[in-house]
Parts: sequence; structure tokens; C-alpha cells
Amino acid sequence: MVYQVKLPVFEGPLDLLLHLIRSNEIDIYDIPIARITDEYFRYLHAMEELDLEVAGEFLVMAATLVYIKSRMLLPAHPAADGDVTEEDPRTPLVDMLLEYERCRAAAETLGERENRQRLFFFRSIPLEAPPGGGPLEVSLFDLLAAFRDVLQRVSDAPALILHPRPVTTAERMVAILDRLTTDGMMTFDALFAQAVSRVVVVVTFLALLELLRQGTIRVEQRIPFGEIVIVGAQA
Amino acid sequence: MSQGLRAILEAVLFASPDPVSTGQLQTILEEVAPAEITEALGALREEYEKQGSGLTVLQVAGGFRMATRPDLHPWVKRLAKTRPARLSRPGLETLAIIAYRQPITKAEIEAIRGVLVDAVLRTLMERGLIRILGRKREVGRPLLYGTTRTFLEYFGFQDISELPSPQEIEALVSSRQGDGTGETGGAGA
Repeated sequence: MVYQVKLPVFEGPLDLLLHLIRSNEIDIYDIPIARITDEYFRYLHAMEELDLEVAGEFLVMAATLVYIKSRMLLPAHPAADGDVTEEDPRTPLVDMLLEYERCRAAAETLGERENRQRLFFFRSIPLEAPPGGGPLEVSLFDLLAAFRDVLQRVSDAPALILHPRPVTTAERMVAILDRLTTDGMMTFDALFAQAVSRVVVVVTFLALLELLRQGTIRVEQRIPFGEIVIVGAQA
Repeated sequence: MSQGLRAILEAVLFASPDPVSTGQLQTILEEVAPAEITEALGALREEYEKQGSGLTVLQVAGGFRMATRPDLHPWVKRLAKTRPARLSRPGLETLAIIAYRQPITKAEIEAIRGVLVDAVLRTLMERGLIRILGRKREVGRPLLYGTTRTFLEYFGFQDISELPSPQEIEALVSSRQGDGTGETGGAGA
């Protein structure tokens, strides 16, 4: 006889707590901390028994619940100035839960909008920039995306490396500059054409970033979504 | 002129892969009054509707764009090879927080959601829905995040003020209370 336990997936401790509160029809402004803590731990144990990884944030919340529970047991001690009105130890948690609940509702309305919006289709073929429009700026994220493509290609290609010689960033920087003085420019892809291993690709990319940082070179795109081109800064 | 104007606008909207802003339209049609342009765009949309055209004109993120009619999506969908996936629940929650609280740091988002959001932020960045606005003047100078124009276009907002108001969100929350069993954390992940 095999039991199948189906546990709903929770996005985090707040999600789980809200579920426990709402499904037990508990007044969020007067949470029975002892009961909720028990239920919370029961859920964590179930997760452990199912070999689910219990993320750190679930444990932090468990500690918070135990702390609040202990605070509730202590008699409120008057403050130095004789003021006995102490804040309910549950208040910060309740505020967090209410805030998270609003966030969830807002996410839901966005999701509904997304569904409606996805019924529309648009033209998506980019126009070539009119000639003479000037080069386009390439952001660091464009570079990283291009770099990821190169890395993917390299890992696919089998290579036999007999004597791996250490490559240095300085060496690759010189190589890039040499190429630029002879040819005036080079494409991003050409930069990696001879890179046989991931190490070489990574070092070459670091060399490119270093040259960019120094302001010795520039990267640009001639047309939208076009090839990324490397040129000397004074070119 | 109005007949010709309508045709020009139709051609411009058709040719552009992105929404065309009113400013851009103004530059293209320098001699035409802005009110006349808006009117012609309205006329174009009505004309499409009357003809039973498969197209429509949408107003999004401060501009106009041509789109296929929503009820035709079952057919158009077959043409599109790959479309970006729907956003996950963590994605939508994170995006909602950023939209309402921008500029906001990663730590502030994490405080509201109660979980780490590194991976979610990366995905939202890659999809161009959020961007880095700068750094907060506090210890560690953490990055500040905000939504982009792509965010507005993706959700069909004309500007950020079209987000549901806090009162509307509050109303939605209270309408949900009491049916906690109905909606758990199933979706997403």
C-alpha cells in the first residue's frame, strides 16, 4: 500500500503561512501563534519526509514563529518610563503577511492582463536602420548575451588539446589590438573564431572587457540585432 | 486630406515593429495638427472594425501599434514558432512589487516576498521587463530596479498610472478572504 501525499507548492514561508491562516479561517489580526506554529512545523516535517529541500527562508520563519510564541508567553514588563503598552509581538509578522497578500493580488491582476494581452500579435521583423543613421550603442547585456552564445558553441565542439598552454588576459588584449591596427575593426564572432576551449573564450572576453574599461576600444552594432563590431576608440 | 492621412498612418503603423509614439508621428507628419492625427487613428480603428478586418490599432505605452484582432489568436498562434513563455508566479509577484515600489532594491523586494529573488530578477532583466535605475545611497550602494517601456507594452499599459490602484488591490484582497482553500500556491514554480 503506497500513500501518495500531495503537497501544494509554496513560493515561500509567507505564502505557506497565508495558506494556513486562510484555509483555517483564522483572523489574521489575532493569529493563534501556538496553533499556527504547530501547523507550520507539521508542514516542514512533511517536506523533509518527502525529501524536499527545505529552503533556508522556511527555517528563518520557523525561528521567527518560535520567538513570537515565547514572547507571547512572557508577561509584558513595564518599560523604564512606566509605559506598559507594549507592541503585540505578532504585529511585524501580520504587517508582512498583509503586504505579501497585496503583492499576490497585484501579481494576479498582472497575470490576467498578461493573458488578455497575449491574444494580440504584432509585427516583429526589425527594420534595417536607414543608412547613415550611425552605429548603435551596445550595452553590457548585449555583450554578455553574445558571449553566452559563443560559450555554448565552444562547449559543443569537441577539441583535442595536447599541451594546454596558459593563456593570459594581457596576451589576448595585445592580440585584439594587433588585429585592430591591421584591419581597423573586427566582428565579435571573429574574436572567438580560433578559441578552442572555454578557458580561451573566457580569457578573451575578459580581455575585451578590460580594453573597453580602459576606453581603448569601442563596441557597436551597425544594424539592430546585427553583428557586434569591435573598433579602436579613435577610429 | 483625412483620407490620405489615414492611409499614411496605416502605412507607418504597419511598417513599424514597435509602437509609434505620438512624438514620432508628429515628426513624420509635421504639417498636421496633433488632434487631427489622433482623430485619423480613431477613424482607422473604426474602419477596420466596420470592414471586419483582421487588424486593429492599439494604444500602448504612449504610442500606437497595429495588432491582430484578439479573437483571431487561435489561427495566428499557429504561425508564431516560439513565443516567450508566460511569466511564472514568482516572476509576476516580483514584477508587481517593482512596478508599485520603484525604484526598489533587491533586499527590499526580498523583504516583501520572503524569499530570495536573484534568479527571478535575472529572468525579468533578460526579458527586458525591468532595468537598473541606479544605486541607492546607503551602505553597500545596492542597485535600484524599475520597470521598462517593454513592461508597459507587454501588459498593454499606456503608462504606469494605469496599474490598478492600491484601493482596487485592497478590494481584491478582501474579496479573496475566506476562500483560502480555493487558491493555494499551486501554479508557478
